[in-house]
Amino acid sequence: MNSETGAGAPLVVKDVVCGFCGLGCDDLEVEVAGREVRPRASVCPEAARLLRRLDTGAEAGPASDAVYGRARKLLEAARAPVFAGLGADVDGGRAILDLAARHGGVLDHAVSDGLFANYAAAQRTGWLATTLAEVRNHCDVLLVVGEDPSASFGRFFERALPTDPLFAASRQVIVLGGTLGAAARRQLGAAGVTEIAAEDLTAALSALTQMVAGPAPRGTSFGGAAADALEAAAAALKAAAYAVAVWNAAALEDADLIAERATRLVDALNITTRAGVFPLGGRDNIIGINQLLLWRLGYPLRTAIRGETSEHDSALYATEAALKDADLLVWVSAFRPEPPPAFGGPVIVIGHPDTQFATPPEVFIPVGTPGVDHAGTVFRMDAIVSLPLGALRVATLPSVAEAVRRLEPVR
Amino acid sequence: MRIRLKGGRVLDPAHGENAVARDVEFVDGRIVAATREKADAEHELGGAVVMAGGIDLHSHIAGGKMNLARLLMQEDRRAHPEPALPGFSGAACGCGGGRAVPTAHATGCRYAELGYTTVFEPAMLGSNARSAHLEMADIPNLDTGAYLVLGNDDFILRLIKAGAPQEEINAYVGWMLKATQAFAIKIVNPGGINAFKFNARKLDLDEANPHYEVTPRTVLTTLIRAVTELGVPHPIHLHGCNLGVPGNDETTLATIAAAEGRRLHLTHLQFHSYGTEGDRRFSSSAARIAAMVNANPNISVDVGQVMFGQTVTASADYMSQYRNRGLASPKKSIGMDIELDAGCGVVPFEYRDRNFVNALQWAIGLELFLLVEDPWRIFLTTDHPNGGPFTTYPHLIRLLMDRDFRNAQLATLNKTAQAHTLLAQITREYSLEEIAILTRAAPARILGLKDKGHLAPGAVADIAVHEENADREAMFSRAKLVFKNGRLIVRDGEVIDLAPGTTHVVRTDFDTAIESKLDTWFDRAVGLKAKHFRLSDGELRGGRGPTVLNCVGGAS
Repeated sequence: MNSETGAGAPLVVKDVVCGFCGLGCDDLEVEVAGREVRPRASVCPEAARLLRRLDTGAEAGPASDAVYGRARKLLEAARAPVFAGLGADVDGGRAILDLAARHGGVLDHAVSDGLFANYAAAQRTGWLATTLAEVRNHCDVLLVVGEDPSASFGRFFERALPTDPLFAASRQVIVLGGTLGAAARRQLGAAGVTEIAAEDLTAALSALTQMVAGPAPRGTSFGGAAADALEAAAAALKAAAYAVAVWNAAALEDADLIAERATRLVDALNITTRAGVFPLGGRDNIIGINQLLLWRLGYPLRTAIRGETSEHDSALYATEAALKDADLLVWVSAFRPEPPPAFGGPVIVIGHPDTQFATPPEVFIPVGTPGVDHAGTVFRMDAIVSLPLGALRVATLPSVAEAVRRLEPVR
Repeated sequence: MRIRLKGGRVLDPAHGENAVARDVEFVDGRIVAATREKADAEHELGGAVVMAGGIDLHSHIAGGKMNLARLLMQEDRRAHPEPALPGFSGAACGCGGGRAVPTAHATGCRYAELGYTTVFEPAMLGSNARSAHLEMADIPNLDTGAYLVLGNDDFILRLIKAGAPQEEINAYVGWMLKATQAFAIKIVNPGGINAFKFNARKLDLDEANPHYEVTPRTVLTTLIRAVTELGVPHPIHLHGCNLGVPGNDETTLATIAAAEGRRLHLTHLQFHSYGTEGDRRFSSSAARIAAMVNANPNISVDVGQVMFGQTVTASADYMSQYRNRGLASPKKSIGMDIELDAGCGVVPFEYRDRNFVNALQWAIGLELFLLVEDPWRIFLTTDHPNGGPFTTYPHLIRLLMDRDFRNAQLATLNKTAQAHTLLAQITREYSLEEIAILTRAAPARILGLKDKGHLAPGAVADIAVHEENADREAMFSRAKLVFKNGRLIVRDGEVIDLAPGTTHVVRTDFDTAIESKLDTWFDRAVGLKAKHFRLSDGELRGGRGPTVLNCVGGAS
């Protein structure tokens, strides 16, 4: 962390790593004065909102011993806990996993719907993927399926398609079934943009995929997308040196079908040229927690530990489904004040101090935010790169790992 | 704490001890000269064989590609659930399971049961180093280390193309070793993974990369010179060009020649020893290649033996894995271009004994084992999990030690393959001492681990005790006792305790002037700050940091 101080001036911290959306920006600039944190530069709207801290004096303080004691009792009594949310850095995830191994229970993340939509394709056929630095430098044709990625990943185009690539001779963006906003267009600079309207995104993408793979389907429009526009897109993709397909499964209906079609499209392109899928996602370190589960349990999220064994079922152990058979919800959300889903049984929240509850949980343990109050590791959306978050101020709340370790039985 | 092992027969080839009846004594994790002092614990071994803990110098145990493999191999995971651990006194251990790609915990436990205490991940990508180290921190009972994949990264290819002086290459390699907390340099398909990003589908030793116009030979010789001059103990660990391609024998022979007498390690040589003779245009070149290895004392190899059954192949060699994806079983595979760095390809595979190619691959591996004469220059690997899971090592050891068993196995294989191998004519049987060399003394020596792989005073008390048994597979399947750093972790083939391991890294001197260039490169090209790419010592092994081997450079 680079810092500059002046007499009485707030501390300016450069090259701050951001762990919120999964894009892995690490060049943020913030101002820190005592307990206050103010974003200054290279900050997207979401990061600005989540990094900002004002010293109102009303921030929740650390939970008392009695609160931890109550949480331990609830855990001891539970027969079928669900550990959900899981918005934590890797160390926090390790602690939660240890706790789940001790008590049994289901493990799932707040935003795993998108991940499992993608896995429906990846686990059935596999896929040919790429990572951010490759996109930055190789990608000459980017296919965006669905909404403008900037809506959820504010600096996506700035990061993925900077104006000075090493290899790409030109940049073209094809948006299928969506339009790019002003921020996206500003970030894209001189890159060409083609928007293809579609009513049924799956049908339009299926047709495009079929046009790339051949033989081309017959018709004048597919899912509301004009055939000639799709044909031009297919030609551009086939002529690309390095095409990349992105979609944000969390924001799509039938995301599993979109992922499957995009995967097939990229497979077809790779027969003659190079291409990769670059699925968007990765909020609140879901990728890091998922990676942790894979190396610790051999299964991704949506896994239950029962007795001495674990089992994975992407439907049965999704939070909503698992809560139907649960007698305790342990909700972890350190990155943002995200309240737990509605649940009839007791709830332990290990969460952001600003969390607002419709119904107060049985136990609330406020924790610091990784990257603001605590150092920690988070993974980027591509699951390859992980980043060291730093602390911006002295923590007054425990980290997730510290809080969860205190829930182990007192000996 | 003083522990004494009494009545064992010590097999310590590093010191010429071949089944010497003597006590082995250790205090607080280090072997000491035998004393008459009262020990805190004594174990009566009744003639069992005592060796240093096994060292596997090439086994894929951590990193992103293994997690991709786990994701693809859910069937394998389900088929191999958490084992019951009757002797294990800990709480629910989150052990996980799996056979082809076991979990971190299961990796540590299964290796320990076989008497192994140190394992090296041979293909860590710099961009994935943090993840690989996080995963290694969760492997109990093993010391680990990782070889950094270089030679396909755009930074080095740009340097080479620009004709950068060797000193600058060395500075980069030194910086990268430190930044990624690596132990050695691996080259995977030199320049080929990069060429695939520019749509090249193959790259021979003297074929130019379509963008950089740099050949694999230049990448190889440049990096051989770098590790030599930096004083990295382990030579370049090379996964050569044309993996799995019939006719790659010529490439392999040319690669050995390209080393020009400098040290070079050829990994999973079996996959690079294929000729094109016969009706099927697929034949064994093991004899030719073994002869060349025998004639070049600068060359060391590990085999990458194929073992029959379901496994998954995971490699940084996306170019080759893309070529092989049609052979996937089950039919699915993952490929990835990675971060101006390298790539990866994950292809599930079942080696079938009735399949001509698979059966001949099996035979080629054994031919190499038996025809390479110097046991100090050949290492026992299956390239886990690519040729088969490491848990098949005891079976492999029996194949090497027991000619009748080997020939009986051979007789059950694909008939055409039998006719294409000279395996049945090879009479060599490995001795126990030779197995101890392959799996202990030699890897310690080639890795520069002076306090491992032997049982003399000063050595780390990583010790495996095996009951003598004529059935060598049974003998090596379940260690009688295993001590990790002096702590008893296995008794009668069962894990009874978990000991934290350490991670070995090397550090070299390098010219720090490279750092400003790297800062610019990471900022502009990679889109990640160099300082965030770099791992601090505290990020290893849950804050305990690495075990550092400081290299003494200057040789050339």
